[in-house]
Amino acid sequence: MNRIEREDNIFDREEIIRKTAETLVKAGSTFSEDKFTAYDRVIREETGDLSCWADRTIRENAVTAKEDQSPLCDDTGIPHIILEVGKNRNISGELLEAVQEGIKEGLKTLPGRPMAILGDDTERVSQSGGLNPDSEGVLPAPFMLRYSEEEDRLRLTVLMQGGGPEIRAKTYRVFHKHSMDVVIDEVIRWAKEVIGQLGCSPATIAVGIGRSHYEASSMMLQAMAEGNYNKQSVYEKRITEAVNESRVGALGLGGNHSVLGTFIKVGPQRASGVRIVCMRPCCCFEPRKWSVDF
Amino acid sequence: MEKELRFPVKPEEIDGLQVGEKIRISGRIFCGRDAVLPKIAGMIEDGSIKDADFSLEGGLIFHTAVSRAGVGPTSSNKFEIESTMETLSKGGIRMHLGKGALKPETAKKLQENHAAYAVIPPVTALLNAGTLSRKLVAFPELGMEALYELEVKDYPAVVAIVNGESMYEQD
Repeated sequence: MNRIEREDNIFDREEIIRKTAETLVKAGSTFSEDKFTAYDRVIREETGDLSCWADRTIRENAVTAKEDQSPLCDDTGIPHIILEVGKNRNISGELLEAVQEGIKEGLKTLPGRPMAILGDDTERVSQSGGLNPDSEGVLPAPFMLRYSEEEDRLRLTVLMQGGGPEIRAKTYRVFHKHSMDVVIDEVIRWAKEVIGQLGCSPATIAVGIGRSHYEASSMMLQAMAEGNYNKQSVYEKRITEAVNESRVGALGLGGNHSVLGTFIKVGPQRASGVRIVCMRPCCCFEPRKWSVDF
Repeated sequence: MEKELRFPVKPEEIDGLQVGEKIRISGRIFCGRDAVLPKIAGMIEDGSIKDADFSLEGGLIFHTAVSRAGVGPTSSNKFEIESTMETLSKGGIRMHLGKGALKPETAKKLQENHAAYAVIPPVTALLNAGTLSRKLVAFPELGMEALYELEVKDYPAVVAIVNGESMYEQD
């Protein structure tokens, strides 16, 4: 039985698997159009000779990866999945199983880096249990499920999250003093602290602001999924310009573009003196993302 | 004009480099990162490296995993990598290839051992075209983090630290 049926929703399991796999490969290999545009702008404006060279090389790499549908970076990342569901659509365990299978297929095809650690809790943490030799051994992070106002939407977004940005990301409380400026200034301070250590700049600063650490992290992930370099808010521009003043440049080689852009997502807030803020300095290839509608 | 370096090299080829110089890397290079580099450093320190069936003399270590996804630099300022650069240089490595800023004291230790640090863009799709062959050299149990030797052609890089000068200490 290859058909998954739930009332008015009929899915073809094989189609779900194929589309999910294709979406993962696209996420790991293909720049969005606004990302290409952002690089074109930075290459035109960059005053640092070495940074400009690095930006051109990164863009050339993106063209090759897109043509070959091969990894942009050897750290192909951990799959993070967002499912958006409108009120006219249903999801089922069978659908989620097909998506899981599609992720495995996508990792085999990309191919993903075989970097899953084997063993029990202790062995996995201490990396003493050996490596799983299979690309598909890399399990996705827990899925994020979101309600969509679009009644007929059933959208899958795949993000591939690399390790370098995770080292430098931070989720912490900020006492906002009833001012958005205070929160933005704190994000700028965090980003400036780590931009030189990232190595893979120009970065994209992804920011989530929520009521809990979980919510702030999920807002940050949504910011990565929804952000667009051609549509930058006043606050996003302010963070980008402030971090660029550090003159870290591409790959830390010095220049006026350490950051391509900033994506901020603000969630609901609580009556409190504190905001929970997640800041992730995404690498020069991220957000590695792609979406498909089922 | 980019200088071409073919590894293994002679020490004077490294001493003649300048910070900010673009280079093209060809020849035989080693690949290793967090897991294997402390083990290689340990072999140098306890003398067992002389029994190994590989030589680090004049060599380059690219801080990368080697997998079917390709190669690409990991952060060289991770503790297990940066802290082993001095010992690996004493063992014959002349160039460390990765990404990210290194400490001033690391620059000094590299100078004392006629070694340099270069930054390579994380351009896996392009590097795949310049990777001619790969061979597992040591510690196969580490999988993609084992010590590998690659035959490469025209890997692009920029010299970031050499002769005690560092790109990260300017201004």
